[in-house]
Amino acid sequence: MSNQNGSGSDRKFKVVGTRPIRHDGLDKVTGRANYGADLALPGMLQGAILRSPHAHARIKKLDVSKALAMPGVKAIVTSADFPEIGSGGMAAGESHIDPKDLQANIMARGKVLYHGHAVAAVAASTIEQAREACKMITVDYEVLKPVMTLAQALAKDAPILHEGRKAVGVPPLPEGDTNIMMRLANAKGDVDAAFKGADVVVEGWYEASMAHQGYIEPHATVVTTRENGQAEIWCSTQGPFAVKSMVAVTLQMDPNLIRVTPSEIGGGFGGKTTIYLEPVAVLLSRKARRPVKMVMSREEVFRATGPTSGTRIWAKLGVKKDGSFVAADTRMEFEAGGFAGSPMGAASMTLYAAYNIPNFRFEGLDIVVNRPKVAAYRAPGAPNAAYALETAIDELAQKLAIDPIDLRLKNAVKEGDVASYGPKYDRIGFIECLQAAKNHPQYKAPLGKNQGRGVGAGFWFNVGLQSSATVSINDDGSAVVRTGNPDIGGSRASMAITVAEELGIPVERVRPLVGDTDTVGYCDLTGGSRVTYATGMAVIEASKNVIEHLRARAATIWGCEVDAVEWRDGQAVGTNGASNNKPLSLADIAKQMAHTGGPIIASASVNPPAAGPGFGVHLCDIEVDPETGRSTVLRYLVVQDAGKAVHPSYVEGQFQGGAAQGIGWALWEEYLFDKDGKMENPGFLDYRMPVASDLPMIDTVVVEVPNPLHPYGVRGVGETPIVPPLATVGNAVSRAIGVRMHQLPMTPPRVLDAIETKKG
Amino acid sequence: MAKVVFTGGLRTLVGAESIELEAARVVDLVAALYARYPALEGKLEGATVAIDGTLHHDARYQRLLPTSEVHFLAPIAGG
Amino acid sequence: MESVRYEAPNNVEAAVRLLAGENGAKVLSGGTDLIVQMRLMNRVPTVFVDVKRIPRLSALALDAKGLRSGAAVPAATLYGNETIRKLWPGLAEATDLIGSSQIQGRATWAGNLCNASPAADSVPALIACGATVVIAGPKGERRVPVEQVNVGPGKTSLAPGEFIVEFEIPAPAAHSSDAYQRLIPRSEMDIAVVGAAVALTLDAGGVVKAARVVLGAVAPTAILVPDAAAALVGSKCEDAALERAGQAATAAAKPIDDRRGTVAYRKKIAAVLTRRVAKIAYDRARAR
Repeated sequence: MSNQNGSGSDRKFKVVGTRPIRHDGLDKVTGRANYGADLALPGMLQGAILRSPHAHARIKKLDVSKALAMPGVKAIVTSADFPEIGSGGMAAGESHIDPKDLQANIMARGKVLYHGHAVAAVAASTIEQAREACKMITVDYEVLKPVMTLAQALAKDAPILHEGRKAVGVPPLPEGDTNIMMRLANAKGDVDAAFKGADVVVEGWYEASMAHQGYIEPHATVVTTRENGQAEIWCSTQGPFAVKSMVAVTLQMDPNLIRVTPSEIGGGFGGKTTIYLEPVAVLLSRKARRPVKMVMSREEVFRATGPTSGTRIWAKLGVKKDGSFVAADTRMEFEAGGFAGSPMGAASMTLYAAYNIPNFRFEGLDIVVNRPKVAAYRAPGAPNAAYALETAIDELAQKLAIDPIDLRLKNAVKEGDVASYGPKYDRIGFIECLQAAKNHPQYKAPLGKNQGRGVGAGFWFNVGLQSSATVSINDDGSAVVRTGNPDIGGSRASMAITVAEELGIPVERVRPLVGDTDTVGYCDLTGGSRVTYATGMAVIEASKNVIEHLRARAATIWGCEVDAVEWRDGQAVGTNGASNNKPLSLADIAKQMAHTGGPIIASASVNPPAAGPGFGVHLCDIEVDPETGRSTVLRYLVVQDAGKAVHPSYVEGQFQGGAAQGIGWALWEEYLFDKDGKMENPGFLDYRMPVASDLPMIDTVVVEVPNPLHPYGVRGVGETPIVPPLATVGNAVSRAIGVRMHQLPMTPPRVLDAIETKKG
Repeated sequence: MAKVVFTGGLRTLVGAESIELEAARVVDLVAALYARYPALEGKLEGATVAIDGTLHHDARYQRLLPTSEVHFLAPIAGG
Repeated sequence: MESVRYEAPNNVEAAVRLLAGENGAKVLSGGTDLIVQMRLMNRVPTVFVDVKRIPRLSALALDAKGLRSGAAVPAATLYGNETIRKLWPGLAEATDLIGSSQIQGRATWAGNLCNASPAADSVPALIACGATVVIAGPKGERRVPVEQVNVGPGKTSLAPGEFIVEFEIPAPAAHSSDAYQRLIPRSEMDIAVVGAAVALTLDAGGVVKAARVVLGAVAPTAILVPDAAAALVGSKCEDAALERAGQAATAAAKPIDDRRGTVAYRKKIAAVLTRRVAKIAYDRARAR
């Protein structure tokens, strides 16, 4: 682990940049922390969901009468219990959600669109009774031909998932019924002419499988409702305020009646930015007049919750002999799952963002298939896009016999360059990351037989959005900081470090809390790599407001004007006529709170712009067994610009975690469906995410090019690390075997096939 | 006059790569755009707005300089 | 609602009576397959017959004749035994591949065998070592070679009321050893795409006198491949002999396409693993 300060940030930090033990660590390692499924209320019922056994079918009749008569059954809910709502827009990041679709994904209405789609739900005294009752619900299905692949969805005679729904976006759009829900396109310069002038051109199709976020904790919720219409929701989520608004819209409820308390969260990675169980549990609780708990099994998580899109991307890249890019052309096909809304838009904006390409064009299609509806997953869409472009770059590097980092350096964007998505870049650290990777010992480590080294890069925007924070001082001089962002990546530690830095007290004297929707000010969800940046800014502001109070209290104690009090190194220091007073520590002032005006507390809220682009460069050394096609990752390095690492261990943890997920996506993870569209591997045994022994220690270099938009220079770091690995690993495998691979995951049989095809 | 740069679908609707407009704030700019290009009506709501390189999630009342360059981008959020 | 009973007899006869008494009775030893199947696949027995309190089932005896191991001895105890590791290194390494460390504290050979997965790791290694099981049942006890216990995926030749009491493995002859490897895409926590076990006995000059080659996950049960063994006998496991053994393994493999591998891939890997495992077993036998 090393740290490269490429910046001119002159602020000297005392606490920022240190590595204290996280405040939530003890409870988590001892099992005391309460996750979504840990809450139990008196009189609580257990809920279970009946799920479709078909990937594509019309629901002709649904009869719950037998199930209702089963022992212990207190309530049953179907789509008939949900209010009918119209289509419309609902902001949900790049995966734009239509509330009607959101509701129909939670409970199928008229049609089931994937195997595992919820059809009915039962609340009963025990979970066994609820499950038994599910078996007694009779559903008459008209089974339709499933559309499982992009090719099937685009075929001329393809069965249509959403009859009567028209494609939207940039013309030309398909006419009549289609599985294409949206088309995006953009172009700059004269692409065709530029390709004619290129010295070397590569082109090909690059395929990636649908991949699940794989959070360890399944979705879980407990709901209680009251006669006055109020609903209390406890759940595992990345955004309690998002849950509140999504439950309100799907049930057409007054949001004022809903209170959402986030539990500890065992991973989300974007997958817990939407809802599945909560509205169902509200309806069951209303009908049964009892609290209801619902917990998904791992199988339900795989069959019915959001993975990210599988993609087919055709890319063409042209270059001059000296290595300068002249033109790029791309067609991206994204699986949206059963409903519209893949991250194709974000993919199209990130695709060319790391390089200066004078002429480019892209087309992107959002395509529905009978697979689970996709949800956000770490830098949604960007890994798929980067897989295509960064592989094409590697192919060019080989053809030109240029070092792959040098080729990227020649074309990399820097401050002042125009981003492919439009605006000019402010300070960014891509060049610094490329140089750090090039200078790292791993880049010079000798490779043995059957070994290959891959290079890949990635870009993500990192967002800002709304946050609020409250800091209060206890009479012993300790502090509490409250925000509304569930802590998925160590953000409690970052918030506490920020308060400690501003107030000048030890970080152990700050207790960071995550509140519910009624006890803290509004916070957008934990996602988009935004919490340490945006919520951190709210915490800085709130801390500064507290300092104003502290100065005023010191002035009261000393009987001087507040202007004569400065806050310096955690102390009130007298100046201008008050300098003969002995400085007062925070503890001294806190002791006298009651005498000087009562409790000291301050809040702040922000809605800052996006956090400044995060660039990363990865290196992967792989050995391939030429007789079996099996890959072993020997060494892996993540270099990324963090702006400023507030708690370096958790920055490194984000780097390593994103790399681990990307390596799994590249080598092992894939959705397997049988001919009827039933997922064959809905568990961690056969949906092969990497385990610890599959990975080497992932080395990290934290580059720090400060973000001018943040007082400490912080950039978001959580998402960029999953952007480069698909291509990085793929490039390593391709170089190890001497054959270019174009399909993920690069499983042993696929790699062995490639080796044998080369041999002829 | 602020410069507005269009890409993708917006460019198709406007029929130009960029235009210049007098507007003090983004909200005034959007109103002026809707007035001049009725086909744009409603299409700029919820957009991420880049003003001189900085991406604003909600730019409605952001002030514009006569030299400002504005881009309307698809909303971004992330996982 | 179904209800489940739990019984823990302390002698073989009582266990047989319980097992023969009802169709839904299941032997509970480590429970690492049984409990999971009950939860995930809703296969709920009427009664669990816990055999861990029967002294014979937890006994472990090693003498000049070989090993006698109770059916409830957990994997960790078996591969943790230095003598077992020395005499049957392949069997020990196969046993160390079952599940994870946590699973191995409870999982048993008998459970791995009676679960009757074609991909079980310990089964090919047990067969290669010439292991026999002692089966108790309503008609008394009988001894059966391990390769005759499984008859298909999830199916055994055990009659109603019968259960495995112990394993007997003959002491290896001089200059003998064994080895096991499996192919999985990851490094652990996975199910074999193909498994191969080889046990060899050499003469004083290093020529293979006797060989047993067993493949897992390429047929409805683990299979002995006599043609592969024949290719090794008389050789010093030179490349040509290994190549012939591999070809015999490919020919004998009758796998299916499933989510873990294709027919073509499994047949190729059967050859690769047979060659590699035979070479390891040979080198180990030479060193003895």
